Amino acid sequence: MPLFELIAVTHDYGRVRALSDVSLAVEAGAIGLVGQNGAGKSTLLQILLGLIRPTQGIARVLGLNVRTSGVRVRGRVGYMPERGSLVPGLRGVEYVALAGQLSGMPRRQSLRRAHEVLSYLGLEEARYRYLEQYSVGMKQRLKLAAALVHDPPVLLLDEPTAGLDPDGRAAMLGVLRALAQRPNRSLILSSHLLGDIERVCQTAVILDRGIVVRTGQIEGFRQAQPKQFRLRCSGDARALLDKLRSQGIEIQAADAGGVARIRLPDQLSTRDVFAESLRHSVLITGLEPDEEDFAMAYRRMLSAGGT
Amino acid sequence: MEPLDSGYRDWSGRLRPAWWACWPIAWTGVLLVLRRKLFWLLLGLALLDFLFFFATIYLKAQVSVQNPAVAAFVNQVLSSVTGAGKTYREFMFAQGTVTMLVLAFAGELLVGGDYDQGGLTFYLSRAVGRRHYVIGKLLAIALLVNMTTAIPALILFVEYGLLTNSLSYFRENWRIVLGILGYGAVMAVSLSLLLFALASWLHKNVPLVMSWACIFVLLPAVGEILRHTYDDRRWRLLMFWRDIRLLGSWCFDALSDNDVPLLTGAVWVVLAVWVVCILAIIPRVRAVRVVA
Repeated sequence: MPLFELIAVTHDYGRVRALSDVSLAVEAGAIGLVGQNGAGKSTLLQILLGLIRPTQGIARVLGLNVRTSGVRVRGRVGYMPERGSLVPGLRGVEYVALAGQLSGMPRRQSLRRAHEVLSYLGLEEARYRYLEQYSVGMKQRLKLAAALVHDPPVLLLDEPTAGLDPDGRAAMLGVLRALAQRPNRSLILSSHLLGDIERVCQTAVILDRGIVVRTGQIEGFRQAQPKQFRLRCSGDARALLDKLRSQGIEIQAADAGGVARIRLPDQLSTRDVFAESLRHSVLITGLEPDEEDFAMAYRRMLSAGGT
Repeated sequence: MEPLDSGYRDWSGRLRPAWWACWPIAWTGVLLVLRRKLFWLLLGLALLDFLFFFATIYLKAQVSVQNPAVAAFVNQVLSSVTGAGKTYREFMFAQGTVTMLVLAFAGELLVGGDYDQGGLTFYLSRAVGRRHYVIGKLLAIALLVNMTTAIPALILFVEYGLLTNSLSYFRENWRIVLGILGYGAVMAVSLSLLLFALASWLHKNVPLVMSWACIFVLLPAVGEILRHTYDDRRWRLLMFWRDIRLLGSWCFDALSDNDVPLLTGAVWVVLAVWVVCILAIIPRVRAVRVVA
């Protein structure tokens, strides 16, 4: 059974089409939902939560139709929104316990579980403070705690690192990565920060202007770039690089670490690079396949329309 | 924040149906109101009124036993406090006036804030439907109303009966309980629907209080002026609080002859207000956006 499934889903806001005939089925795991502002991520999240009805099409989460079983879907999903979604006047532990009760937990169990989850996320000392006294980072962790309190099989996270400083962001991503590795649990991370997606998720759904550009394993996106390598040399390699250029090899200038990116034409191989380095008495200390990072692959896919 | 090692524990248990969530929604609303000091002041006024009635009933019972000669004088002075239905009606009407003040300022806390600060997203992204959210919020407002009206009235009823010489008071006046519950229900439903509808559109305290004042102060004044101008008592139907009181009088079987012709009109006005409020609430609850 796929984690979620969309069949010819279209959604319009008046004359504006937010999602256009989207059909996909995504298996369980850590899935990244990627796209710029206006790509349709928010609309897709709302549809998966059963909060809006798609104009056309069918959406299912864990086999449940979101149109007819929205409450059941939300009972099996833990949602962490990007902004707001707080209830001022409540203490941290009360807020999380309330989230548990709204998810169907009995009161005592939700309270006990709220304490556990807040301790796990490092809010043990702040759990009796009022929400208005929480910092931005603490609020994000609090919302994550509210999403986790009923231990749902699916976590739906919308820009979880929004507003966090670098340390907070790294810590949050560490937690999410660990949560994604739990057995029988899945995570859908919606973000426009490709680095976040790359660090947490194995699968990505790339949206652009309401259309799914590409779906698949992130590793698979990166491996699409052939004949490109990272070259590291010891000593003065200018003569070597000039020679390689004269043979038709594209060379980008070395970065601060002394690593140059080279692209070999079809008729040449790495053996030819090593042969030239011997002739020029230059020691090659590294020649590795240069996989694109996810950001490069994303930009390439958007410009090429998904290829 | 430490990443997960062995600190995270799974949870497995039976989840309750969504209707169970109405109570935590309601109780959270009441808790938010009771945490604000302003409401302690207003609820303190209601408590004073309740204590006055409580003490009066006790005083009359004691005096009638210890000094029957003085009892007649006391009964004359405190003639408004008897064991009849009218007493409880008047008590609930006076308490309801204080409650309206409480609700005017509580609207933002109970409902309006959910729209401004994302509370609506919090509630509706859980395993509850829109109807559970609405009923939970209406229940919160109804609890606040009944905390100051019906529940103290029931306490006074029990006190009065216990301070008589026998339990015959309860047997002979059991309909007063129905009156208290009926009047309480009409007040609770009317005020909760009205407050929810207004707060879901206006959100903030100032416009809420102003619109509340228009309905319960300005409109009655207009109704009274029109009644005098056209010499037609039906203009009093514009006084919504009075229409609720008419229904309450009917519940207590204490409707005066003058008010009998207005009863049907009052029923229609109250029902119309309920329908308009429900129609106003529906689009506001559908307006949730999970992501801003």
